Formats: sequence, structure tokens, C-alpha cells
Amino acid sequence: MNIRKFITPRSLGLVVLGVLAALPAFANNYWLFVGNLTLVYIALTVGLNLLIGYSGLLAFMNGTLFGVGAYATAIFRVDFSWSYGLAIPLAAVLTMVIGVIVALPALRLSGLYLALATVAFAQFILWVLLHWDRVTRGPSGIQVPQVDYAPLTDSFEHGHYYVTLVVACIIVWLTANLLRSRYGRAFVAVRESEVAAESIGIDLTRYKTLAYAVSALYAGLAGGLFAPLLGIVVPESFDLSQVIVQFAMVTVGGLGSIAGSVIGAIGLVWLQEFLRAFKELQEVAFGGMILLTILFFPGGISAMLKHWFPGWREPLRRRFLDQ
Amino acid sequence: MLPYLLISGLTSGALYAMVAIGLVVVYRSTGHINFAHGELFMIGGFLAYSMITMLGFPYLLSLVLAVPLSFCLGVICDRVVFRPLMNAPGTTLVLATVGLSYLLKGVGRYIWGGKGEYISIKAIVDPAPFLVWGMPVLPQQLIVFAAAMLCMMGFLAFFRWTIAGKMMQATAESAFASYLVGIRVERVYTWTWGVGAAVAGVAAVLMAPLTLLTPDIGSGLLIKAFAATILGGLGSMSGALVGGLLVGLCESLVGGYIDSSLQEVAAFIIIMIVLVFRPSGLFGAYGVRRA
Amino acid sequence: MKRFQVSSAALTIGLLLGSAGSSAAEVGVTDTEILIGALGVLTGPLYNNGKTIYDGVETVYNEVNAAGGINGRKIRYVREDDACKPEQAIPAVKKLIFEHKVFMIHGGGCSNASLAAMPDIVKAQVPWVITASTAPQLTDPVNPRIFTTMLAGWMETAGQLQRLIDTGAKKIAIVRQRDAWAESRYKPLLDSFAQAGRKPVLDEEISADPSDATGVALKLQAAGVDGVVAVLFPKAATVMIRDMYKIGYKPLVVGGSAIGDVKAMDQAIGIRGALDNFQALSPTKSATDPSMAQWKAKVKKYYPQDEFQTWHMFGIASGQFMVEGLKRAGRDLTRDGLAKALNGLSVSSDAYAGPISCAAENHQCYRSMAWFSFINGDIKEMGLTQLK
Repeated sequence: MNIRKFITPRSLGLVVLGVLAALPAFANNYWLFVGNLTLVYIALTVGLNLLIGYSGLLAFMNGTLFGVGAYATAIFRVDFSWSYGLAIPLAAVLTMVIGVIVALPALRLSGLYLALATVAFAQFILWVLLHWDRVTRGPSGIQVPQVDYAPLTDSFEHGHYYVTLVVACIIVWLTANLLRSRYGRAFVAVRESEVAAESIGIDLTRYKTLAYAVSALYAGLAGGLFAPLLGIVVPESFDLSQVIVQFAMVTVGGLGSIAGSVIGAIGLVWLQEFLRAFKELQEVAFGGMILLTILFFPGGISAMLKHWFPGWREPLRRRFLDQ
Repeated sequence: MLPYLLISGLTSGALYAMVAIGLVVVYRSTGHINFAHGELFMIGGFLAYSMITMLGFPYLLSLVLAVPLSFCLGVICDRVVFRPLMNAPGTTLVLATVGLSYLLKGVGRYIWGGKGEYISIKAIVDPAPFLVWGMPVLPQQLIVFAAAMLCMMGFLAFFRWTIAGKMMQATAESAFASYLVGIRVERVYTWTWGVGAAVAGVAAVLMAPLTLLTPDIGSGLLIKAFAATILGGLGSMSGALVGGLLVGLCESLVGGYIDSSLQEVAAFIIIMIVLVFRPSGLFGAYGVRRA
Repeated sequence: MKRFQVSSAALTIGLLLGSAGSSAAEVGVTDTEILIGALGVLTGPLYNNGKTIYDGVETVYNEVNAAGGINGRKIRYVREDDACKPEQAIPAVKKLIFEHKVFMIHGGGCSNASLAAMPDIVKAQVPWVITASTAPQLTDPVNPRIFTTMLAGWMETAGQLQRLIDTGAKKIAIVRQRDAWAESRYKPLLDSFAQAGRKPVLDEEISADPSDATGVALKLQAAGVDGVVAVLFPKAATVMIRDMYKIGYKPLVVGGSAIGDVKAMDQAIGIRGALDNFQALSPTKSATDPSMAQWKAKVKKYYPQDEFQTWHMFGIASGQFMVEGLKRAGRDLTRDGLAKALNGLSVSSDAYAGPISCAAENHQCYRSMAWFSFINGDIKEMGLTQLK
């Protein structure tokens, strides 16, 4: 069947983009919110994949940095009275800086140790968010106003959705280009074998730090867009389950595949909404779905797509090898 | 005040050590961390609760029965989750066990959830505190402490002197080489999962009178167990025990002398400090493993 | 062909968009049914507080339906989970309002989640009767369509402090958790201290899920504290009281509604006599009150897996209040009509210690607190405080 040749990451991406762009036209308020949430998660997942999938760095700080971005935006907007147009980018930069600072001691760790260290760090930051009353307002969090998109549109929901869509698209496009460049090849080299990478002159520190910085920037941006979407920034939004969900999105979508991350993000956000029907059994259903997906598609959805559609080619995607 | 804090630190440390020991058993044999270990603990405890309240079994009998029941649960998990993914990349396995933990937590919530804020199980002896060197201790805490020591010594002996123990270490070193020398690697893994789960189940039954079972105790205890194993050195059994006790002591002393709000975060700070400065921990047997 | 496809697509879209809006009757009300939504925690560590309350509410609704309904309509109660987090609360409430299209919302557990959901509820002008959230911003300033049948957090802590002062405690300390629930009570508690001309001798924090609280107990003992205001949930309170008993320290501990189920506390601590110097308040009557026997049976009938707890009584009381309000709003049921009916309503529920009554300027509809202690294996009622 010839049509299989036409299903490539690019074509599928354009279709997805089309659907997402048209969503506000036929979605009610509820689906619009879910769509907006999906876009935020796409930004997060692509960033996390850069760390875990491409660079092989099991760093689970993404949920925390997401929170840092959200809190920074809230503080800039509410305490300093800056506009969102200023608050969000600056918060993203701040998150990037913090991400890099934290990454420095983490550079020496790998594998399980890195994972556990970042998990501990995440819990520590959660404690700080909860206790640093003067800055973060502690458990009650910070209430933030909606963004005023006045000249463009009266509806906050629509305006915010499109802004998030544009940001998500830029992130996806930037990452794709980054990975096609020598930076991408360096990331993969670091992942496959640090020793071999060093031996051909790749500065491990530089590239690892770059990976941490880029994913932190994305997480900060996502956090900045997340804050006004919810209207309130509280510590419990950024606990361990946050990064677990992101991790699930990356893995189910396919490690080392941007298209996989996008699919994973969309899939899991909508899965969680779909699982509402299970009421109290949501956790069982969620855990079960994750398990089933992994058991049947250990390489993730992008591996499955690669298997079915010969035209599906992605640069430097992680292959599912026997280990 | 100091002696009180020390005793309470040691007793809660023994709790963490018991959970950590089960975690280390699985790690030592398979080279993987089971992120659902906390939930295996939780289910084991609830199964014991059901036996005690619904079937009316005495506590000791439930404790004894918890072993084979948890063992079976561990074996099921191995067959369903671990075995099919034995050759998958490490991260996939991590996510699989995380997914398993959600599943088990949800199941636990569904079956035993509506019973109350927490489940209480009567302690093995009269729970009134008695004095040890002039300091009050709850008898159940001493039992947990003793059990943790027994477990650790038992496993140390097992790993050092029995063939089965050596086989388990071999499979962690290199599954491939183990195949070559005729070790039935899958069998060893299954047994390991069973044993790890059994330890968790026993720990739960012993600890239940102290910590009060809820479906969510798994994740909190798991992190403390991580702190214990990392402090003691990943893969070291005695490290798990010592690490657990030290984590308990740190929490207690920090909470008592510095600020009570720091008690819950002490474990995380320990993990971070250890990993940055001495990743191999106190008894670091295997050094810093690569992914 | 193409034009036909385009215009039929446009027609379908138009119909879908159009049907989302108007209808003759009130939203969520049909000839035979009233659709009521429940927003609350169904999963996560606090699920027990959520599920049991809604089970209580739904028991009342089921009974009313069995008896013929309200003005000829049956109530359908649909629950959506907020997992106690804002990012779940918002889609949950949006689903209730825009997908299920409920007539009103009867629920609300975790404060942060409820606060996050509030803007959507206010914007859609959906009536909301709150069953458990105690954040003061929900009912102050008063919104014409938002009511609460639960005690306010500040009432509880003011009552707790007053109780300690009345029994002659000289050195009073605060022991609290670090979450939004405790936070909303902590600040008013400090105000209450200031108003009484006192300062807390110590202000300690325990994790919500501790394995050991000996350090805190020792500190309190060393400072000679004889009265403790416990702003804690059952798990932390149990561990704290047990460890106090362990070191032989027995101050008067006064707890809020979260630990009002003194019998459950006793079972959890497991040491007879540990609660001898303990009192807690509850909006409810004692669970052993004769009027609750029939309700226990009814809850058991609909939810056999539940063990009857004080939380069910929260739901039963709120449910009875709601049923009365819906009846008064009449057959011609509108959201505005319901809000008006609730404004002057006063209901004496089987489960609550005092009446639930709302006034136009005060939607904090419940203001009575019963005090309980557990002595010699029995729940003992110690008194009743009723605020204006």
C-alpha cells in the first residue's frame, strides 16, 4: 500500500499541527483546557527526551524545574508587577541558570545514581517551596491573574492556547534542528559511550551541560505558561508524580524520538482525561496502561511506527537493541 | 533528650533498614531497582490485615503466612513485568516498575481503601512501652529492630555461604556468563523477586502496628530505603542496615535539635550529599555503576 | 460533490456548536432528573476523605430517589476526581460544567483544588454547595451562589484554643502539618492567640506521614507545655499522641474536626489510656448516637466496602440540607431559584450536632462544634459550642 510511504514524522507532524491549530474552533471550554495542557506537556516532554532519550542522562529534575519556572513567573508577575511578556521569558532563563547550576555536581553521576540524586533533589526543592513562606507563600501557593491578550482576542482561553501552540512549535522545530546538527550527534555519542565520545574529542562537560540547559529552558517556559493557565501555583503540582508522568510520556512515546515525545504527551494527557471514567480506579488503569504499552512496545510508540511504516525515519533515534 | 532521640532514631531507622534490605536483595541479583518495592510492602501488610480481621488469624500466624503470600506476589510480578522486559533498556524497566507501583497502589486502594484513614493492626505483644536502660521503647519497635538484624545476618550468610546466594550474585555480575556456566538465570531472578517481596511483606506485618497502613506508605518508605541503600552503598546488605539506622538517627537528631520541619527532608539531603561526594557510600562494594 | 460535503460538514459543525448553548429548561434539569456534580478527591493520599463524604451524600440522594425523588425528579450524582491538585481540579470542574452540564456542584474537598476551580464555577454561575473545603476565600466575600455546610477553619482553631484556655492550660503550644489545609487554620489560630492575649510557647511542625514524633514530644515536655492545639490529620496525630504517651507526657491535646473520630484514633493508637487527656471537635454528632443507626445501615447497603466513619456523616448532613433546599426551590427549578431557596434555609440534620442555616449575608452555613473524648473505651460527649 503506497500510502505507508507517506507517513513520516514530518507529514504526521503537519497533520497533528493542523488538528491542534483547529481545535479551538470545535472544542468546548473543557477540551480547550485539555488541549492547552497537552501543549505545555509537549514542551516538557521534548526537553526531557533530550536528556533521557538522546543524551542518556537519567535526570528527573524536569518536574521541579517546571515548578521553578511556574513559581518564578508567578513571583515576577505578582510581586514585581512585571507583565507576563517579560515575566515568562525571564523566568525561563532563570530556570535554565538554576538547571545548569544543579547539573554541575550531577555531571559526575550516571545511571541509577543520577536518577536517585535528581529524585532526592526534586523532593528537597518541594520542601523548599512548601516552607519558604516569604517567597513562595508556602502551602497555599500564589494566585496569579490571567494573561490579558486584549488587542488580539478577548478570550483568555483562546489567546493562551495559541501562544502556547506557537511556543510548542518553536520548541519542537528548534530541537529537531539541534539534533540534526553536530550537537545532536554529540549527544548521541555521549549516550552510547562516554569513553568513546571523549576519545574523539567530544567535551563531555560541555555537551552534557548543554543538554541540561536546553531542557531546563523548555521546562521553565512550560512552567511560565502553566502558571496563568491554572491561575494558582502550588507546591503539590510539582511533586514526584509530575515527573513520573513526564517520564511515562517520554518512554511510551519512544526514547530518543521527538515525534515520540509529542505523541506520548498527547496520548498520556488524553489518556488521563479518558480515565476519569474509572473514578477511583484511575490509578489502576493508568499503571495498567503504562505496563501494557511497555510490554507490547518496549521501544515505545515511535518504534512501533517505525516497524509499520517504512517511511518513518528520524535522525539518531535510539534503536531498541538487546543489552 | 539525646538518649531519647537516639533510641527513636534507631527504631525508625530499623524500619527503613528492613525495607532497604528487600530492595538490595533484588538489586544484588538482577542489577535493577524495583520501584514497586514499596507497594509490595504495602500489599503484604494489607494481606496480613485481611487475614487478621477477616479470617481471624492470630498475629503470629499471619506473620508466618505473609511470607509465602508475598513471595507469590513477587513471583507474579517477575513473570508479568520483569521477565518479558529482561533485555529492555534500563529506563524502560524503571518505568515498568513505576507503572506496576501505580497499579498495585490503585488495587490496594480499591480493596482496602474505604476502611478508614489507615488500618491498624494490633501489636504482637501488649503495646505499652517499657524501659530499656531507662528509656521508653515500644515493644514492637524492638521486634522490628531485632528482625532487621536477623534479616541482614541471614542474608549475609546466605550470600556468602550458600550456592544459591552465589548464583544470585553471579547473575548480577553478568547474566551472560551465568548462562555459560549453566545457571538458570530466569529461575534465579524469579526466586529473587519472590524473596525480595517476602522480606517486604514480613517487614510490613512487623511495622504495621507502628506506622499504620495506608495505600500510600509505599512511596514514602521507598525513598527512605533509597537513602539507606545509597548511604550504605548500593548493593551492600550490611550497608542497607547501617544506612537505614543512620538515616533514622539523622532524621531524629535534626528534627530534635535543629528544627522539626527538617525531619522529613533530612533523608533527601543525605542522598544528595552522599551521591555528590562519595557515591559509593560507606561500604560501597560495587562502586559507581554506569547506566 | 465537494460543495455538498463542505456544506453538510458546515451544517454538522453548526449544529454541534449551536446545541452546546441554549435549551428551554435550566441546565442540568430535565423533566425527570436533576444532574448534580461532585468535585473532589477520589484518588491520592486524601481519597478517604473525599470518597466517604460523597458516599454519604449519595446515600441520602439514593434514599430520596427511592422515595420518589424531589418534586417528581430523581437526582443523578456524578463525581469527578480532582486528586487534590489544581491541575486536576480545573479540567474536572470544566468537565462537569461543559461536558456533563450539571445543574449544580455539591462537593469540594481540598482547599487548593477548590480555589483553583472556583473561577470557572463563578464564571459559569453554577451553584456550589461545599462539603468539606475550609479555605476562607471560598465564602468570604459572599458569592450569591456559593454556600458551605462545613465549619470554617478559623472557627475550629478558635474553638480549640478556647477549649484549652477554659480548662486552665497555661503554656499552650501548636503542633501542625505543612499543607494548605493546616495553613488556612494556622494564620487564624495565631490571630486567636493574639486576641486572647497569649503567645504559643512552641510552634512545631510534623510531617503529614511521620513514623516517629518523639523529638517533638520531648521538646514540648521540656518546655513544660500543658496544652496542645493539634492542627493535624489522623495519621500525624496518632503518632504524636502515641509517642507522648511513650515518654510519659500527658498534656491536654485538643484536635480539630479532622481527628474528631475519637474511636478510630483509639483503635489506631492501640494503647488504652493514651487518649485520656484528649479532646477533639467535630461538626457531627457522635457516631454512636441512636439517630445514626439507620444511616449506618443505609450506607452499608449502598457501599458495602465502606467502613462507617465520621466523614460519611459530613456527607449525610450536607445531603439532607441539599435535599431540603431542592424541595423548596420547587418544581420550576432554576439555579437562581435554588440560590434564593438556600439563602434563608435552616435544616436540622440527623448527622450534624447543630442546624445548618444560611443567611443572605453569611453563606458559612454551619457554626456548631461538638466536643468528644474517649474514656474507658467509650466515646464521651464533652460539650457543644455554637457560634453565631
